Amino acid sequence: MTTSNVVFLLIVTAGAGFFALNVQRLVRYLRIGLAENRTNEPGVRVKNVLSIGIAQSKIFRDHIAGPMHAAIFWGFIVLTAGTVEILIQGVFSDFSYDAILPEPVYRFYAFSQDGFALLVLGAIGFALYRRLVLHPRRLEGDKLEHTDALIILSLIGGLMLTLLLTNAYAYLAGSTLVGPEKFASRLTAQMLGRSVTSPGYWAGVFWWGHVVILLIFLNYLPYSKHLHVITSLINVFFSNTSGPGQKGVMRPMDLEADVEQFGASDVDHLTWKNLLDGYSCTECGRCTAACPANITGKPLSPRKIVINTRQRLMEKAPLATGDRMEFIHPRLVHGEGGATGAETASQVLGERLLDNYITEEELWACTSCRACVQECPVSIDQLDIINQMRRYLVLSESRFPEEIQPAFESLERNGSPWAFSPADRGRWAEGMDIPTMAEAMERGQRPDILFWVGCMGSFDDRAKKITVAFARILKACGINFAILGQEEHCHGDPARRMGNEYLYQMLAKDTIGTLDRYDVKTIVTSCPHCFHQIGNEFPDFGGNYEVIHHSTFIERLLEQNLVPLQGEDGKRLTVAYHDSCYLGRYNDIYDAPRATLKRALPVVDIVEPKRSRDRGLCCGAGGGRMWMEERQGKRINVERTEELLATGADTIAVACPFCMTMISDGVKAAESDVPVLDIAEVVAGQLVS
Amino acid sequence: MKIAVCLKRTPDSESRFRIAANGAAIDETGLKFDIDDFASYAVEVALQINEKQGPGETVAFAVGPDSVQETLRKAMSMGVDRAIQLKTDATTYDGLAIAKALAAELKAGGFDLILFGKHAFDTSGGVAGTATAELLGVACVTAASKLEIANGKGTARRELEGVAEIDEFSLPAVVTIDEGIARPRYPSLKGIMAAKKKPLETKPAQLGQPRVTVKKMELPPDRPPGRIIGDGVAAVPELVRLLRTEAKVL
Repeated sequence: MTTSNVVFLLIVTAGAGFFALNVQRLVRYLRIGLAENRTNEPGVRVKNVLSIGIAQSKIFRDHIAGPMHAAIFWGFIVLTAGTVEILIQGVFSDFSYDAILPEPVYRFYAFSQDGFALLVLGAIGFALYRRLVLHPRRLEGDKLEHTDALIILSLIGGLMLTLLLTNAYAYLAGSTLVGPEKFASRLTAQMLGRSVTSPGYWAGVFWWGHVVILLIFLNYLPYSKHLHVITSLINVFFSNTSGPGQKGVMRPMDLEADVEQFGASDVDHLTWKNLLDGYSCTECGRCTAACPANITGKPLSPRKIVINTRQRLMEKAPLATGDRMEFIHPRLVHGEGGATGAETASQVLGERLLDNYITEEELWACTSCRACVQECPVSIDQLDIINQMRRYLVLSESRFPEEIQPAFESLERNGSPWAFSPADRGRWAEGMDIPTMAEAMERGQRPDILFWVGCMGSFDDRAKKITVAFARILKACGINFAILGQEEHCHGDPARRMGNEYLYQMLAKDTIGTLDRYDVKTIVTSCPHCFHQIGNEFPDFGGNYEVIHHSTFIERLLEQNLVPLQGEDGKRLTVAYHDSCYLGRYNDIYDAPRATLKRALPVVDIVEPKRSRDRGLCCGAGGGRMWMEERQGKRINVERTEELLATGADTIAVACPFCMTMISDGVKAAESDVPVLDIAEVVAGQLVS
Repeated sequence: MKIAVCLKRTPDSESRFRIAANGAAIDETGLKFDIDDFASYAVEVALQINEKQGPGETVAFAVGPDSVQETLRKAMSMGVDRAIQLKTDATTYDGLAIAKALAAELKAGGFDLILFGKHAFDTSGGVAGTATAELLGVACVTAASKLEIANGKGTARRELEGVAEIDEFSLPAVVTIDEGIARPRYPSLKGIMAAKKKPLETKPAQLGQPRVTVKKMELPPDRPPGRIIGDGVAAVPELVRLLRTEAKVL
């Protein structure tokens, strides 16, 4: 063993050792979060890692930055094989895969190394160009963030250059290992010219350079937002959107638990996974760029929520875990919001994530549309943090915008977020000969289907027309259905979304009691919020029903030719369909409403607004925003309606009573007379009368 | 300060009321009850005074059957320290009888301030508060829309028709609370959990002989349905004629 080998072993051991120490500290920090099981559905989790992680499916949603990032990511994976070879060379100077791999495999390997080194270099060049020249809006972080990115890009670039230069000089020194497959290395050698003196010496210098940069890079990561290099695949594996029907489902709370507080006001009330989200965020800003609140000038930025969570963790966790080292300086505490200026331990412990980092206004600005979660390339759940903090505000401190108090009180007293008399709930059905469950049972009938009308559909004048339209379709198709009438009341979803888990659970459990009393198996509803709540969130409380949204149900009826439609109608109609968040991003229903329109209207062109399907912009009503004033920035519904009107469509179609209200108001605000129709109304309009 | 708040349990005003079988009460089935709105303002005022003035005690009182316990718990979830139910077999509508029961209990309580809602939404009697003050022989200010307590004295503002009145009064006193004074707080889950452990005492109500009983209750007549006279300009002459002859507004 030469001196060089010994020095190498010492440096690598020190570098790897320090890295291991920091990893262990980061893991210890995660432990200050609450426990949560994230190992169910392992199959889906592995699939997510393969598609979202390895295949970079969400990264590619940005057509420019996507390929750039994928080139670097795949380059990293492929070049890791080369890194291993280089590390072995540190101990056994003459080692090469050549010795152990069959010839064709080795040649392919050699080619892949050079090919990807070039790709990565190209991508790094483009990344620098973007950061330094193009300045995309979503990358506008603060100075530290910018410096951090430049350091990382330079380190990666340095790794690629030293790799190529090592090989190039080795080739010039006459190494047989740099075959024609290492085309980029040979090309570099050609550019260096054959006249360089002592190429063997320079090959050694760059080899050491490569090793040193590698160790610097590795040890810089824990201090950088680029920690995601290590955590992102792990984060994708543990993401909570893993199983079917689990998307956006809020975590049930144990309200009987003997806890100090309900919900989260600081990092130790979040789960370890929320904290891992903080480690995994590389501040790309895709979430914030897609956030309807942020787009329209509200104080919310989902990216900031995640960065703040990490900042606060880095500030508090050392104290909480008795760690005497710090990650705070200089890299991890930066980004939007900045540090709070707490210096002493007691100051740090006296502060918290809520108020000191994240304000109430930010939390209440969220429409729970899930666009941020949808966009995040590493499956961070920004919304989960927001929801946990809203729960704290309501359950522990009773702090919320004053206009939602009447909604809470009305939910308690009237079973609806609006102060309507529960006795009027079934009034829309008068004269339509629709039995209630109670009436049907009395007559000894067993309806196949329960039509869950929902509060909007029962009380809102505009939404009642949707309800009637859907009921007419059901009747025209001879469906044996009933409603609950006065026995229906809100399932509590608005309360849950607004952080009032206590009120939610009361209403939800009561609803489950009613549904089970009638042994309900199948439910149809024209409200995506009811659809999501009863179908996806009730199972956590023992309510298991097959819930079908009316868009899917009507489409099935149309498909089976059960709907008595009028014949051809010559007029060509251009329809823009607005995606509901709770139907789309929460439940992946994008095609059914569009297919319904196509089947029901003989000549229809469906046009898409600039943001549609899983990129669709929220109407602004979700997350309880329906009951809150929109005081800042542009109105979300106006922004969305403008996009819809810009398609030039003659009609706007929706599939949600909340979207109906928001888009109708948006059309009025735009002084347009384009009609807004629910898909059920479109179909009902074509019924043979 | 030691403050008493006297509560009434009333049905939600959005309810669609029906008359009970005996014809002299409303049918309570399906109705949701809560603290009466005016009484809930009184609770909020009491809590705010004690929050501002430092250590004190807020005690809620209600006269009625066991169903009022829920109402008292609600007040405790808002922050009231303890509660006393003055138990009766059925809901009483005689304001004076209620006042007698309350006064008998409040007399020895040593309260600096006794708050009521200005009247309850269900019966609009407005008697219990003033009668209690009379029975206790203390100052009484009704329908206060602002209330301040300082140096053992109280100042209240009363909104009258076209004018506002500022009253000063000595303590102890009974004050009945008008709307607009404070928005009642929404109980946090923490408060709800804490309320389960707070003391709720039940004592028999000394109502005396009720002198007023409800004889009969009836619903107001249905409003006649709207009529569509016609469409557009053609309908105007008929509309004008009806406004003249039937509605007599022209």
